Amino acid sequence: MSEVHSVSGKQGDFTVELLQHPRYVDVDKCIACGLCAEKCPKKVDDLYNEGLEKRKAIYVPYSQAVPLKYAIDASQCIFLTKGKCGACEKNCPAGAINFKDTEKLVEIKVGSVILATGFDSYDPSSLDYYNYTTCDDVVTSLEFERILSATGPYQGHLLRPSSKKKPKDEGRPPVKIAWLQCVGSRDINRSGHNYCSSVCCMYAVKQAFMAKDHSSVPLDCAIFYMDMRTQGKDFDRYYENGKKNGVRFVNTRVHTIQRDNDSDNLILRYVEENGSIREEIYDMVVLSTGLVINASTVDLAKRLGITLGDDNFVKASSFSPVSTSVDGIYACGVLTGPKDIPQSVMEASAAACAATVDLASSRGSLIRHEEAPQERNIERQKARIGVFVCNCGINIGGIVRVPEVAQYAATLPDVVYVEENLFSCSQDIQDKMTQVIIDQGLNRVVIAACTPRTHEGLFQQTLINAGLNKYLVEMANIRNQDSWVHSGEPDLATAKAKDLVRMAVAKVRLSSPLAQQPLGVNRSALVIGGGLTGMISALTLARQGFPVHLVEKKDVLGGNARLLNNTWQGEPVGDKLEKLLSDIRADERINVHLSTSIKHVEGFVGNFKTEIVEDDTPFTIEHGVAIVATGAKESRPAEYLYGEHSGVVTNLELDAMIRTNDHKLRNADNILFIQCVGSRDANRPYCSKVCCTHTIKNALALQEMNPDARIFVLYRDIRTYGQRESLYLEARKKGIIFSKYEPEKKPVVIRDGQHLEVLFHDPVLDGNISVRADLVCLAAAIESYHDESLAQFFKVPMDKDGWLLEAHQKLRPVEFATEGVFLCGMAHYPKPIEESVSQALAATSRALTVLTRDQIMVGGVVSRINPELCCGCHGCINVCPYGAISYNVGLRVAEVNAALCKGCGACAAACPSEAPMLMGFNNEQLYAEIKMALCS
Amino acid sequence: MRKQSKEKIVTSQEFQPKIIAFVCNWCAYGAADLAGVSRMQYPANVRLIRVMCSATISAHHILKAFQEGADGILVGG
Repeated sequence: MSEVHSVSGKQGDFTVELLQHPRYVDVDKCIACGLCAEKCPKKVDDLYNEGLEKRKAIYVPYSQAVPLKYAIDASQCIFLTKGKCGACEKNCPAGAINFKDTEKLVEIKVGSVILATGFDSYDPSSLDYYNYTTCDDVVTSLEFERILSATGPYQGHLLRPSSKKKPKDEGRPPVKIAWLQCVGSRDINRSGHNYCSSVCCMYAVKQAFMAKDHSSVPLDCAIFYMDMRTQGKDFDRYYENGKKNGVRFVNTRVHTIQRDNDSDNLILRYVEENGSIREEIYDMVVLSTGLVINASTVDLAKRLGITLGDDNFVKASSFSPVSTSVDGIYACGVLTGPKDIPQSVMEASAAACAATVDLASSRGSLIRHEEAPQERNIERQKARIGVFVCNCGINIGGIVRVPEVAQYAATLPDVVYVEENLFSCSQDIQDKMTQVIIDQGLNRVVIAACTPRTHEGLFQQTLINAGLNKYLVEMANIRNQDSWVHSGEPDLATAKAKDLVRMAVAKVRLSSPLAQQPLGVNRSALVIGGGLTGMISALTLARQGFPVHLVEKKDVLGGNARLLNNTWQGEPVGDKLEKLLSDIRADERINVHLSTSIKHVEGFVGNFKTEIVEDDTPFTIEHGVAIVATGAKESRPAEYLYGEHSGVVTNLELDAMIRTNDHKLRNADNILFIQCVGSRDANRPYCSKVCCTHTIKNALALQEMNPDARIFVLYRDIRTYGQRESLYLEARKKGIIFSKYEPEKKPVVIRDGQHLEVLFHDPVLDGNISVRADLVCLAAAIESYHDESLAQFFKVPMDKDGWLLEAHQKLRPVEFATEGVFLCGMAHYPKPIEESVSQALAATSRALTVLTRDQIMVGGVVSRINPELCCGCHGCINVCPYGAISYNVGLRVAEVNAALCKGCGACAAACPSEAPMLMGFNNEQLYAEIKMALCS
Repeated sequence: MRKQSKEKIVTSQEFQPKIIAFVCNWCAYGAADLAGVSRMQYPANVRLIRVMCSATISAHHILKAFQEGADGILVGG
């Protein structure tokens, strides 16, 4: 609830004034019970649900909000606007309402600033031909997203808004939905946005899939598009799957939506590819609205002195994609250009990395350490269990009969102390609990309250403060999974609460203290791959203060960047490469190993040992983390006379010809580009992402060299996503001819002496065309090196197309499931320079989370294999997703490496003799819980 | 939601199955918590057992639950 008021100072020493708006709710007291909202008489449009339903004037913005605390909407609250009411204050069981709360100006000192202000969804109200404001069933994609959501206005049921005007209305499901692409994007006529919003094609396909899933009736889904831009990793497969699952893709722009007044149905008028006008009736239309930078961000940028580029996106160089025009202020996400979640998450890490480079010397200087009391040894002690049953105001106590549960808990074996609390999580109760544990000599604790997912850490800290091992506490979830979900059944809820307490007591009786041991971290890094991505990653790690080994298999650094001329923004790649090379040479912390291959890798996060062979000499490198930046290559086409006729070249070869000002280019009459050569076909069912932009950039360069030449681009979909769209627009304005072909009707290239003849079918003219070409440039697919040995060395997975597979596409885009190993550049997927650079910075940022620590703690909830029971069958080794189990040949048993184990318990499930034991969740405990759950 | 909660979801005469749900800490358990935050209502005869990963659950656990008298088992992960 704060906004930046002002920023002064300079890089390394900023003073930021924050304007903190009043919340009118004390977050320390609020228990998010929701009673205030229930009693609040004022209904307001729920902006989170795009105004499709109502919320109250006191509210939490959405159910996953962090912190989960209520706030009062001051502009709507009756008390704050008229001085009457105060229903929330009267009903709040925690006394958390504070109408006297005021606006505060908070001053903070920081070294860097990161802007991640996001975007607004384009408002289509002004596009009168879509009738968005007059037809209820014409919705924006964000509104449709809410309609599909379980926490949305219709609880996830797919219904037409026109049939659900009041909560009581039953609602009718749609049977035919259309998605209209490029609403507020690629539209210079009405919205004035020439850029492509990058994400809409993919989300439209996703929404069509989900809508079909949610629909109780067979649903007809059609997507009206200009070019399908599914250029991300695995996106094209998703698009093809959409086609297979019956989603219709119609290549046109709908020009009007009109409502049929009798039926509420929507009439869509559009021109078909052959020029005929068609009308089709739908009962719902989703406008795929684009991403827009809002006015308050523009205002903020002005106050900060940051230069904004076209359409108010922050203008950043391809080589420093998260920097702004002000030193020390960085930007990420859609603010620097339209992009999807994986790319935004990568940029977030990249910005974190860039923002800390210049602050590296003061890293860790503000950390405070807490002293914990000595841990009490409870070995051979009989269990003395204390049970604390929480009322959570009336959240639990209003439904579950807490005194009855407490009384029952006292009868359970080894329970020596029971207490009821109004709010177990409040600070005074925490202090009291600590004292009770000490005074009563408790050695196990059960908290019957809310969920361990939010409160386990808090109660673990209470145990630590009382000198107990933190793993000796168990929570019985009698709120989120009991009183809240059985609120009409007090008897059943009380019985369930007793069962849950009994289960928790039985489990905690069998708990034993778990130890975590510190393990030293080797604070140096290995970067594999000396292309642009690897070089930037090595240089950034060094600047963050860590020694780096940069390993390259070739005898020169630079990779593909050595073959490129300019980025799409026109920045020369060669100059940057030279600068990087001299910086790397000058940095003593970087050890470059050329002509080097990797022979063997062992160890784990913080402690890797990698054997390399450099110019036939073997070395061993010890390092704490590894960054894989092995890149990819342009493929050799096997069609269109490539390799058979000197007039057929690839984009990289054309780059070289442009560099040398080749006379063939200057003298050519006709030049043809053919897109998707080896991409988006059966062998490589992915989009190579960079080729459309590369082609258009080269086409424009050729036109400059030879203005008389006629230049054709034969394409399937032009994928100049984001602001690259401006290049496409420029190319068309300058007369470059674009003609779409279908994969079933590929162009044909025939030898014609020195020349070439290209035959293709143009869908707009609906005719076959023949061009006598001097040069044919193929947009050859980018392909992976398929380096399986490298993948095996670091135990990292590779997908069907040979791209290394990250731990999670959206949440952990530069990490592997194997801890301490990170990924960036084209080894992950084809991508342009600025995305490779931001990924390099992101991988570096994630690597810093390991390198900046002196030690890592291992142990706790991990698996341990009992050698007495293990028969050495390798079953667990095969199922462990983290490669944490190895076979001890001498003892003939499997052993767990606690540093690699994530505590998933897959080994315990796979073992036929129950030899692995997941500490804190062992079989004995699980069996006790099962028994106690069912014994009432 | 509130209205729904006042309806009697189950009646005591009917057969009441005992259901054990083994739920992954990271997803299904979180989803069950969120059902609570959203005040969704469901029958009270399910007992959730939190595990660190649904892969922890082997046939042994499922058979054990049936032996102890469970009528149905849900593994959520």
